[in-house]
Amino acid sequence: MTEHRYDQENVPPAGTQALAFARHILDRAHNGAVMLDEDGVVTYWNESAERIFGLAGAQALGRPVAELIIPERQRAAHREGLRRFLEEGTGPVLDRRVELSALDARGGEFPVEMTITPFKDGKRWCFHAFIQDMRELRGGERERERLVVELRNALRGSERRFDAIVGSLADAVTIRDREHRFLYANQAALEHLGFDTWEQLRSTAPESIMRDYLVYGEDGRGLQMRDIPSVRILAGEPAEPLLIRTVHRATAVERWDLLKAAPLLNEEGEVEATITIIEDVTERKRAELRSAFLAEASEALASSLDYEQTLRNVAALAVPSISDWCAVDLLTGDGQRQTVAVAHIDPERLALAERLRAYEPEQMDPEQGLGLVLRTGQPLLYPEISDEMLLAAAVDEQHLELLRAVGFSSALVVPMRLGGRILGAMTLVSAESLRVLNEFDVELAGDVGARAAVAIENARIYSERSSIARTLQQNLLPEELPAVPGYELASLYVPAVETTLVGGDFYDVWQVADGWMVIVGDVTGKGIDAAALTALVRHTMRAASEFRRSPAALLEIVDSTLKKRSTTSVCTALCMRLEGDRVTLAVGGHPPPLLLAEHEIRELDAHGPLLGAFADVCWQDFQFTLEPATTLVVYTDGITDTLSEDGVRFGLGRLFGALEPLGVSPAADVIAGLSGSLGRFQAVAHNDDTAALVVRRLAADAGCESVIASTTVGSTAANASTARTSA
Amino acid sequence: MVQPEKLEIGERAEGADLVLSVEGELDLSTIPRLAQHIDGRIGSVGASLLLDLSGVTFMDSSGLRLLIELHHRAQREGWKLSLTAPAHEAAQLVLRITGADAALPFTEGPR
Repeated sequence: MTEHRYDQENVPPAGTQALAFARHILDRAHNGAVMLDEDGVVTYWNESAERIFGLAGAQALGRPVAELIIPERQRAAHREGLRRFLEEGTGPVLDRRVELSALDARGGEFPVEMTITPFKDGKRWCFHAFIQDMRELRGGERERERLVVELRNALRGSERRFDAIVGSLADAVTIRDREHRFLYANQAALEHLGFDTWEQLRSTAPESIMRDYLVYGEDGRGLQMRDIPSVRILAGEPAEPLLIRTVHRATAVERWDLLKAAPLLNEEGEVEATITIIEDVTERKRAELRSAFLAEASEALASSLDYEQTLRNVAALAVPSISDWCAVDLLTGDGQRQTVAVAHIDPERLALAERLRAYEPEQMDPEQGLGLVLRTGQPLLYPEISDEMLLAAAVDEQHLELLRAVGFSSALVVPMRLGGRILGAMTLVSAESLRVLNEFDVELAGDVGARAAVAIENARIYSERSSIARTLQQNLLPEELPAVPGYELASLYVPAVETTLVGGDFYDVWQVADGWMVIVGDVTGKGIDAAALTALVRHTMRAASEFRRSPAALLEIVDSTLKKRSTTSVCTALCMRLEGDRVTLAVGGHPPPLLLAEHEIRELDAHGPLLGAFADVCWQDFQFTLEPATTLVVYTDGITDTLSEDGVRFGLGRLFGALEPLGVSPAADVIAGLSGSLGRFQAVAHNDDTAALVVRRLAADAGCESVIASTTVGSTAANASTARTSA
Repeated sequence: MVQPEKLEIGERAEGADLVLSVEGELDLSTIPRLAQHIDGRIGSVGASLLLDLSGVTFMDSSGLRLLIELHHRAQREGWKLSLTAPAHEAAQLVLRITGADAALPFTEGPR
């Protein structure tokens, strides 16, 4: 609300000076206000008129208005109109809002809206005009509000003139006393409230008018008398403009109104009455709701590839935008329906839907309702659901009771179809709101249904693909790591969050004739392809390990297998052979393992080319002895590439930092520590797989029979012994 | 999660050769855009394409994979691909670890 301060000196003395006070307000009115004498000469020109026309009052006063603001081609008509009014007492443009062209001081034409009211000042006629600059229309609402606040005082001085001005407003204006009885209503208000005459309205109790309507706030909750702005003002509460949705109980006509109220104060500054402007914003609100709903629905449909969740979101959106109830059914493969979502504005009412569903027949009737829509793909609208229809539909007394309890008043079933295929249907029911669903809703719901169908299809395709990929990938990892004598193993595997990007990190540990093989790798690629490639690499390794001892030789075999594929298929792999404390290691494009011991952490200098990528390359075996209580950490680049919220990568430095204190920890603790550090660092969902495998040589006193005393420390790792294999 | 755009692609001609200079991060989130850009140009590549990666600050395995695919494609289609190595350590890392620094046609090795 525009805030006005009325200083003591501005309060009008009762009666005599009321018009002078009204004039004082007019001077400051936001609308242009102009008065003319019966010759059309300007006698009053307020500040806003100066602003609108770019003409100072001093220049305007005493001059014929025709010369000032009326375009030349209309001046003759203006003079003729003036003459006829004085002779015949009628005028086509009087007492109503007319849109005219006006001139500003520079001679530019612009549109104005004007209300010209004649009144008699003694024996001579005068004219008063309120002028709205249509170029300023955007600010129009606030301006109207202010106008009425300004005018309310003028009412005391001259009710007739007030009515002459306010009566012509298109917005409904009412004034009510402290008991909420109507003191005044303009023509628009009478029409708005459904009364033919002022006398009818005046003799109707305000509560009974309220009772004729269902009244909701913008959020869909029911409103009471005490929520109405004018009533709030009387209760001494602030009265913000209130947007309400009303449904007339008898006619079910729905309307959106914007209510703005201001107090009318008496001379003691007490609230004497309230004035309310009711602006009918139904069309605007419907258009707004429609586009907002479609935007939200599209977003909800695109937000998740879990389509059941998606459809639940859409159902929740439809309530209360379109209806009181919304149910979404999918057509299953065997022609049955599967209800995936039911929403109601009042969650407690959902229990009714559950109970109703128990009455649904096993087979849908293909000739009516949902069955018909699912068969034909055409929407069905039941604007009105009568008790006879409920009687016909009920299977027994209890069912009928239940149907009546829901209070169906109107229903709409729209298909969710994609091309020629019908995937399901949305059922919208209005009940307690009494809203009559109409063609507008058919169109809106139809749009949503079509979008939902696309989302369902995408989700189906996606979930099939991603679940295949996910299943494959998970089956590629050992369910649990085998017990390797003398060693302790632990692993970490965090799949990519976005399942379309199912990465290809893998690890495996298996026994060979005279030891154990350990591999960790990363297939570059996505989804099913990556999973298939992982399977290929892993099984090639396992098979080849039966007849080749050298890890470098295994990498070479995998490399040549990958190169035979038609598409570029590349893979990193780290392959280790454990024989007691002897470790033979070959690296193919994979980050070198980290060696971790008490007070020691470092990266082994073991490198080799990526598999499947390059011609004329070869791999080396690095041999070393792993000391007791020493740990090898093998990881994939998903760990070092992990992004923080600020776009910083975890990197090797942080990896070292995370592992350093874990030099004497058991393998499982090393993994837990690493996982914790990653979790604390990472704030954004990761789109790459993350894997680590910890291989810890047990301490000599751990009592494991396969621990072999050794004098060699891991530090001589990389150059202990190398075997070359050629590509 | 889609990261904000972190890649800039510049383009200039040097004689008959096309030079694409790439700045920023080459990872899963930016690779599709670079791949698409290059695909759109390959038809118009004359004898050679120089991919200047000196402004690349980070590269992961998917970035590397793109380079390998380009390398294979150039060999198959008979045009020349040259690469300028990244100046940033974080981008050199994946090239060094995978042996790509030696195997891909870098005009001067990323040292």
